[in-house]
Amino acid sequence: MSCWRSASSAIRLRPAICSIALAVALLLGLALPLAAQSPDGQLWGQDTANRIQALALTADGGRVVIGSRDNTLRVLDSSGELIWQFEAENSISGVDISPDGQWLAVASEDRFVYLLDGEGNMLWQFKATRPMNNAAVASDGSLVAATSDDLTVYVLDGEGNLVWQEVLGIGVQAVDIYGSGDKARVVVGSSDGLITIYSRTGSALLQAGLDYSVQSVSVTPNGARILAGTEDGSATLLNGANGNEIWRFEAEDTIVGVALAADGSTALVGSEDGSAYLLAGDGTLTHRFRQDDDVLSVALAGDGSRLAIGTIAGAARYYDRSAAVSGAAQSTAQRQRLIFVLVGVFALLILLATWAARNTASGQVIYQRSAAGPIGLLQSMWRARLSYLLILPTLLLLLTFNYYPAFSGLYHAFTKWSPGVSTEWVGLENFRFLMGDRFFLSGFRNAGILVVVSIIKTMTFPLLVAELIFNVRNRFSQYWFRTLFVIPIVLPAVVEILVWNNIYDPAIGLLNESLKLFGLEHLTRVWYGDASVSLGAIIFIGVPWVNAFALLIFYGGLISISNEIIDASLVDGASTWRRFWTIDLPLLMGQIKLLLILNFINAVQTFELVFLTTGGGPGAATYTPALELYYLAMRMDRMGVASAIGMILFLIILAGTIINMRYVRSSTEYEA
Amino acid sequence: MVSARGQKGAEQPLPVTGDTQSGETEGGSMYALTSLFNASKFSLGQMILYAVLLILLFITFIPILYLIVLALKDNGQIYGRFWSLPNPYRWVNFTLGSLAIWRSILNSILTSGTSTAATVLLASLSGYVFARHRFPGKEVLYTGILALLMIPPILTLIPAYVLILNMGLENTYWALILPWTSGGQVFALLLCRSFFATLPEEFFDAARIDGASEMQSFVRIAVPLSAPILVTVAVVRLVTTYNQFMWPLVVISSPKRQVVAVALTQFTSEIGVTDLGPQMAGYILASVPLIVLFSFGMRHYVRGLTAGGLKA
Repeated sequence: MSCWRSASSAIRLRPAICSIALAVALLLGLALPLAAQSPDGQLWGQDTANRIQALALTADGGRVVIGSRDNTLRVLDSSGELIWQFEAENSISGVDISPDGQWLAVASEDRFVYLLDGEGNMLWQFKATRPMNNAAVASDGSLVAATSDDLTVYVLDGEGNLVWQEVLGIGVQAVDIYGSGDKARVVVGSSDGLITIYSRTGSALLQAGLDYSVQSVSVTPNGARILAGTEDGSATLLNGANGNEIWRFEAEDTIVGVALAADGSTALVGSEDGSAYLLAGDGTLTHRFRQDDDVLSVALAGDGSRLAIGTIAGAARYYDRSAAVSGAAQSTAQRQRLIFVLVGVFALLILLATWAARNTASGQVIYQRSAAGPIGLLQSMWRARLSYLLILPTLLLLLTFNYYPAFSGLYHAFTKWSPGVSTEWVGLENFRFLMGDRFFLSGFRNAGILVVVSIIKTMTFPLLVAELIFNVRNRFSQYWFRTLFVIPIVLPAVVEILVWNNIYDPAIGLLNESLKLFGLEHLTRVWYGDASVSLGAIIFIGVPWVNAFALLIFYGGLISISNEIIDASLVDGASTWRRFWTIDLPLLMGQIKLLLILNFINAVQTFELVFLTTGGGPGAATYTPALELYYLAMRMDRMGVASAIGMILFLIILAGTIINMRYVRSSTEYEA
Repeated sequence: MVSARGQKGAEQPLPVTGDTQSGETEGGSMYALTSLFNASKFSLGQMILYAVLLILLFITFIPILYLIVLALKDNGQIYGRFWSLPNPYRWVNFTLGSLAIWRSILNSILTSGTSTAATVLLASLSGYVFARHRFPGKEVLYTGILALLMIPPILTLIPAYVLILNMGLENTYWALILPWTSGGQVFALLLCRSFFATLPEEFFDAARIDGASEMQSFVRIAVPLSAPILVTVAVVRLVTTYNQFMWPLVVISSPKRQVVAVALTQFTSEIGVTDLGPQMAGYILASVPLIVLFSFGMRHYVRGLTAGGLKA
């Protein structure tokens, strides 16, 4: 336990206090400012019992239109107060509001499309043969387009007269209008993946094809950009002039709603994966708004400053974009904060040093020795600049790749962490989640078993073999035995596991074949697939567990026992057995202590052994905490919970190390 | 303790090594051979001892023998005649296997080698400074570095991954080289500092009198004298990084840049081999760099690990 001893002897009181102060300051500096942040920049939210199927916002976000399944259309102001509401005969399936808020087109499953004015008065209504599913209105209210489940697009003028209609013969529910007066254009997206731009009179001007059914379209007021959301979960931005794709964003599930800001610099995409994605003009994700349920509708103010999200569970939420984005920019801010913290810590250290120089005896000695106080200290620091310069690369690397991740991990264990998107302080939520996560709990139990087994494995066979080789009288054989037992160390650790995978192979593995050979066919099984034996199979890997490293340590310990002691025991007539217990074992305590802690640390972090064999299965039978950490972080994107597992394992290892240092006695400390 | 006392700290440690033995072995081998056939010296106890050791040795070697046999068979031989020895020997398996993994072996050698070289360079420099220089804040800094021994890799895995993402380094060699260089330094610095501390002050005084600069005395005196400990650091780091699995799995996604430890596990999917033979041959080939390394560096490896204590 060499390094521990040196560490503990090196940690004299004063430096230790400084280091601890440094650590605490760093941690607080990271934690405090973030904890104060409100999530996502949400201004208000309303939970109703009915799914929010349609949403629209005016150009400045001052009016929020919410169409719900309970047949009502509500218009709210930016603080969430109801201004007026409108009742249709059936649920509201689509709404659009002109940028100035003067015109509203409403599609309902009662088969009507309505045009309302800014005060909620109905101007006209138009009936299709089947329920209407979406509607759009031009900015001057002179044109309304509606799509219906009868597979038809209806286009009406400001008085409610049908201008034209087109029977597409295929599902259509995405529609938007840009321009005004005679220059108004209707953009329609249909289930065959086609996006068509029609003139006011109904001639098709441009057609672009996507690969999947178009669920929603949104177009800028000048028609330059068209954003289309499709069933496969991608949102595609098209150039309105030629229909070419500009960028494409992939969500995890079907896109149900898209919205573009007037200048095309911001886009909002709602997906059934339960998130609305705020995208920048170049298609990069700036923020992910996670909802508790599937998102059904989204809306973005024309100036991009406000946005609204409606979900299948009836929640309508209203956000301030800049607050959300500043939350997203947190990682940048975090880096700056780190710099501030480091500066602060530095200042703290100087203060601490000054305090020590004034108030402690040894401090005063140093103070006097460095002649003119702080100036003298700076002088001696300047004189030692070469030393600082030489260790600078080391320190920078350690700070970046070791210190920073360690504190970051401890801090983020208390957050909901989506790197680059948002960090939200959730307190002990992650730990609470883990307490109910059966994979983690099973993993915890397995880790316990693996720790015990691994320690037993290391303390028995390698010690036995070391003792046996030590007792071989012939030096020549002694040498060869030792060498041969160590040879397997040249196999990379992964290869050993992979070979054992083959041994356990149910179809043509060595184990099952051997059992068949000896007529024990009833014992053959799918070793990794049978929950009753899978953990046992993993533990069995490497039998007879003569770990080369442990063997060398034990053997080295044995041959360093002085011959006088052994001769003396021989003279006294002690049996080999007796000698083992009274001489060898006590003198090997240093080695045992070392192997104990190394095995403990490695076993707590077991990953490859299960990842490469069973992958944690069957069910949760062979999970380990490290495996669950990996899955949570890499496959489920739950970095916060994964960090919490990291923290738990760290604390366990720390506790184990301290116990081992304190309570495992060895007569001779390990010398290396 | 690592702060090896006495003159030659590095020579003292564990007499576990092949070297300590070999001198005696060669001298004694003649005697050993004769005594091997001298039945009267062979007591019952010794025979049981040999039997137990041989049995354990055989069981230990079963996976390796199995690996070698499979590597020389084709699928027909494996499925048709499981228990027979390879006939004919399919040496072509090694060609096929090497085609699939040569690139990842080179990736491993490149990343392990670079990071090890950087570790040795930086740790020897800073070890020298911490051992021989006096400057304000030395103990605080050194304690701060040693405290990193307490941090298990599992704690830093995810934050370090996010850090790499933020730096835009994911899926590059840097994502392996930089953290490995950094991580290896703690243990390396520990060894280097304690070794440099044992070098007699007189050497450096003499050099100073002869007009050597600080850097000259580092390069001309400290480094040559500490070659054994630097080799130890290098061997341990090479083996450790070569065996790394979880970190490359997380930060490297492109098969072209993947290291061999991870590439082996993706063997089948990558080149579409369903033949076991080439796969097993690949496993053996992946061991070659370690065989080469251990054939001369075993004793360094053991010394390094025991001295490194915690951070194996």
